[in-house]
Amino acid sequence: MNYKAIIIGGSAGSFQVVTKIIASLPANYPLPVMLCLHRLKHVRSGFVEALSIKAQMPILEPNDKDPIKSGKIYLAPANYHLYIELGNKFALSTEEAVNHSRPSIDLSFFSAAYNYKQKLVGVILSGANKDGAMGLKSVKDNGGLTIVQDPNECQVPTMTLASMNATNVDHVFSTNRIIDYLLNLE
Amino acid sequence: MVTNEDVQRFITAIKMASTYNFSDYSERSFKRRIEKLLVDNHMDINQLSLKIAKDNSFLEKVVRDITVNTTELFRDPEMWTTLRYQILPKLKKNKSIFIWHAGCSSGQEIYSMLILLNELGMFEQAKVFATDINSDMLETAKQGNYKYRFNLGYLDNFDKVIKENPYNYEDKVDVPYEKYFDIDKVKDTITMKQFLREKAVFRKHDLVKDGNIFYSKFDLILCRNVIIYFNNKLQNHVIELFNNSLYRDGYLILGAHESVLGPVANNFDRTKGFYRKKQF
Repeated sequence: MNYKAIIIGGSAGSFQVVTKIIASLPANYPLPVMLCLHRLKHVRSGFVEALSIKAQMPILEPNDKDPIKSGKIYLAPANYHLYIELGNKFALSTEEAVNHSRPSIDLSFFSAAYNYKQKLVGVILSGANKDGAMGLKSVKDNGGLTIVQDPNECQVPTMTLASMNATNVDHVFSTNRIIDYLLNLE
Repeated sequence: MVTNEDVQRFITAIKMASTYNFSDYSERSFKRRIEKLLVDNHMDINQLSLKIAKDNSFLEKVVRDITVNTTELFRDPEMWTTLRYQILPKLKKNKSIFIWHAGCSSGQEIYSMLILLNELGMFEQAKVFATDINSDMLETAKQGNYKYRFNLGYLDNFDKVIKENPYNYEDKVDVPYEKYFDIDKVKDTITMKQFLREKAVFRKHDLVKDGNIFYSKFDLILCRNVIIYFNNKLQNHVIELFNNSLYRDGYLILGAHESVLGPVANNFDRTKGFYRKKQF
């Protein structure tokens, strides 16, 4: 396996896509999957439960300094930025919102790109702002693999279009092709 | 892009010029704070280090800006609701209740606590202490004067914790905001009432190097979203300090996604975000 982690960012219109993707990943999926999704600040609970209904992998909202393990899905907790820290663990931060977002997709992607370099797959899905575009660029600049959901399929294509403007993405895929691709990573 | 060498350079410059030591801060967020400092001050790391060495008031400003100072009134309403209905009532019989807000930042959680204590009729018996690494933040906390628009959303939190009872939906009390703070929409301010502002004792304190400076133990220590900025080693050190500063059966309340790790974890019972020091 050439990869060590998958990181997925999305915002408005991405909930169903994310649900579909994680429902397709088997319980013994060999990589950790990190989700950085914008959500309402005051909707704290229920999101993990909603995502878990169809997922075969366990979904966790990590605590600060929790180790990162394969075969698990990690959801950035509401109202925190999620970083990947040296030593393959998470770190959280409550510093100011970036692009009006906390969690900020850019910040999570920057730290994942720095940590995993060419061994990272970054995916940007439907979303209503440009948070995530610079993050995906940094994945690309660090030698990682970049995928965006086909803007024609996105409920809100702002985030994917901004990502495609920011960097020369490797693949523009429909949801089904993203799933195929993640299931057949080598 | 800030390199690891830049980070070391910065930490050394601060160490040489002051008693602050950022060596054990969490790597990712600290690096990001330095990047932000460089951008905000239009400097490179050399210029920044030189100015830190020469200018003490600049150094203090850097320490303020490098630490994260975001806080809210009644942040995480569920936590405050648990405090209100399950934790504080157990302490009501005590003649005095000692509370320490460690890393209080601009103070919103101190006022949240004071409002709660007052609603529970426990205001007089409470001794409230608040510390922060930064004197500017302590001053802001003491003033109890905040931007109205910025804090507008948090009035919902006030309603949830103070006006509603999740254990009994019919039990709704109308507590007017004016009981605790004055809102001036023109000046864009929320100002805490004087009786709240006069209550807490504020002291400068650095969790890295200072011990318990209050000559008392505590029933309750709140340190929320502070240790996320520390590495495991410093986290253990701080939890050890809290453990030694708590009465038996005392409570430690961390942020929603922080936990007690390391050797000291065995000294606590955990229910949700609340750690209770065990009896030995």
